[in-house]
Amino acid sequence: MSENSSSYTRRALLKTIGIGGGALALSHLAGANALAQQQPSAARRLSSFTGPGANPYWNSVGPMATYPQKAPLVLLTDRPVQLETPRQYFLDAITPNDAFFVRWHLESIPNEVDLSSWRLRVEGNVNKPLELSFSDLLHKFKPVTFAAVNQCSGNSRSRFEPRVAGGQWGNGAMGCARWRGVHFRELLDMAGVKSGSVQVQMQGLERGKGPKGMPSYEFKKSLDLSNPVLDESIVAYSMNGEPLPMLNGFPVRLIVPGYFATYWVKCLTDVRLLDKPDENFWMNPAYRVPDTPRGTTTPADVAAGKVKMIPINRMPVRSFIISPDGTTKIPAGLPVAVRGTSLSGFGRVVKVEFSDAARGGWREARLGEDLGPYAFRTWEYPWTPERPGKYSLAVRATDEKGNVQPDEGVWNPGGYLWNKIERQEIVVGDAA
Amino acid sequence: MIGAGKRRRVFFALLIGVCVLAVGAIYADLEIGYYTAANLGRIAQPAPPNLRPNGVYNVAAYPLYTPQLVPGAGRQDAAAYCNTCHTPSYITMQPPLPAATWKAEVDKMGKAFGAQIPTDSQTRILQYLDAHYTPETRKR
Repeated sequence: MSENSSSYTRRALLKTIGIGGGALALSHLAGANALAQQQPSAARRLSSFTGPGANPYWNSVGPMATYPQKAPLVLLTDRPVQLETPRQYFLDAITPNDAFFVRWHLESIPNEVDLSSWRLRVEGNVNKPLELSFSDLLHKFKPVTFAAVNQCSGNSRSRFEPRVAGGQWGNGAMGCARWRGVHFRELLDMAGVKSGSVQVQMQGLERGKGPKGMPSYEFKKSLDLSNPVLDESIVAYSMNGEPLPMLNGFPVRLIVPGYFATYWVKCLTDVRLLDKPDENFWMNPAYRVPDTPRGTTTPADVAAGKVKMIPINRMPVRSFIISPDGTTKIPAGLPVAVRGTSLSGFGRVVKVEFSDAARGGWREARLGEDLGPYAFRTWEYPWTPERPGKYSLAVRATDEKGNVQPDEGVWNPGGYLWNKIERQEIVVGDAA
Repeated sequence: MIGAGKRRRVFFALLIGVCVLAVGAIYADLEIGYYTAANLGRIAQPAPPNLRPNGVYNVAAYPLYTPQLVPGAGRQDAAAYCNTCHTPSYITMQPPLPAATWKAEVDKMGKAFGAQIPTDSQTRILQYLDAHYTPETRKR
């Protein structure tokens, strides 16, 4: 009995091994075959441009490049320098200085500043023109510090359809830093603004090769003196507790919280009080948006000359999915933290909602630390995809003025004011 | 008796062998350890600068990463005039743009920015852009 049973067992085992062995041998062969076919090839490069449809990627498609005082960033143009911040840096509400995006208009930008001769001038329609040294700014004024988002007017221009000419930014032409400096109004008051002044003009060290008097020679921006944003603006000498990187405007730049970056003049040297509105190219026609809801219009209306244009101003509410970024699969059933950031130029983001389309409806995400009304506000949503498949994650923000991100894009000739709801496709894999 | 013991030893040796084979097969299927020639490039680190405690604050030269314009008639004109003020990546980074948009861009460079481009060169630049950078013609 025992002999029989043991013999049976042995026979059964041998049989099993025989089948298993054969199966193993087969699977080994199949495996080797699969290996030959599926051997991972090198990561593919992105093409150097996108279009004629919208850029489908989060960032722009240029190569990574290094610049002085910078981590590797996405290169748009090398002369003048335009660099975009890679997506992953936006997991934090504060963008590191070495990852902060760079955008210049003209090619002659400083490699060197001598603070022993550098002065900030306040002049024009004033009672007492000023010349302030860097040390004066540090010691003669009460310092002010706050966090604020600096976003290029053309951020996300590559989303436009039909596409428009210009810097083909993805979403990374933005950053948030803690800026420290002196109240802009205090400088104006010290110089004594004469009656009849209407605007204040800012200019920095940036120059171009064009003829004098042309916008290809110099970059100048102006704000109305009656604009309340001037009360919140500062001349910043410190960025995240460090000197500004040269490419971000060393030694000082203007900070205009809530406003697009075009007014945040870098390497600021000249502040001029004007008795008539500034009509230089960089104010008109450049950096203008349609005077319509959301600043949207159509190519036909522009061509027909029907559109009234006004200077770009505050940043519409936006939110972004930063992680997961769609480059890896997520096993079904694994809880993941969907994380991102948000901003608004009209005040605090008070609500961020998340949707995975599968269950429908919007669910409120948990907001990160409040760093002030004009800072990035991070958000997080704990998400567990139950079944394998393709998911479309979406996020939308609401600011304290009640502005909610819409699900429609905008179109205007400058490629400005993009704030459509962002989506991220995610592939959830089988975990069984 | 001896025969039975020997059979048992052979059997267990076989079993262990099969297990080793199975483990090997499983690992082979995980596709590990593949390396290939770098395709995405590498980035050299900068050496730290030599700094002195005076009032001069400087950084190294800004590096150029100049892209190649597509070869073809008119490239010389585009390179000579457009590159005066900016890198050719102002052309190469654009999506394919209609001929009318390129015309507006070249006009803007002359009228708004004051670029001194002779009329015949402007014509050749536009023909070059139309031949390589529109939705119908752009290849790379």
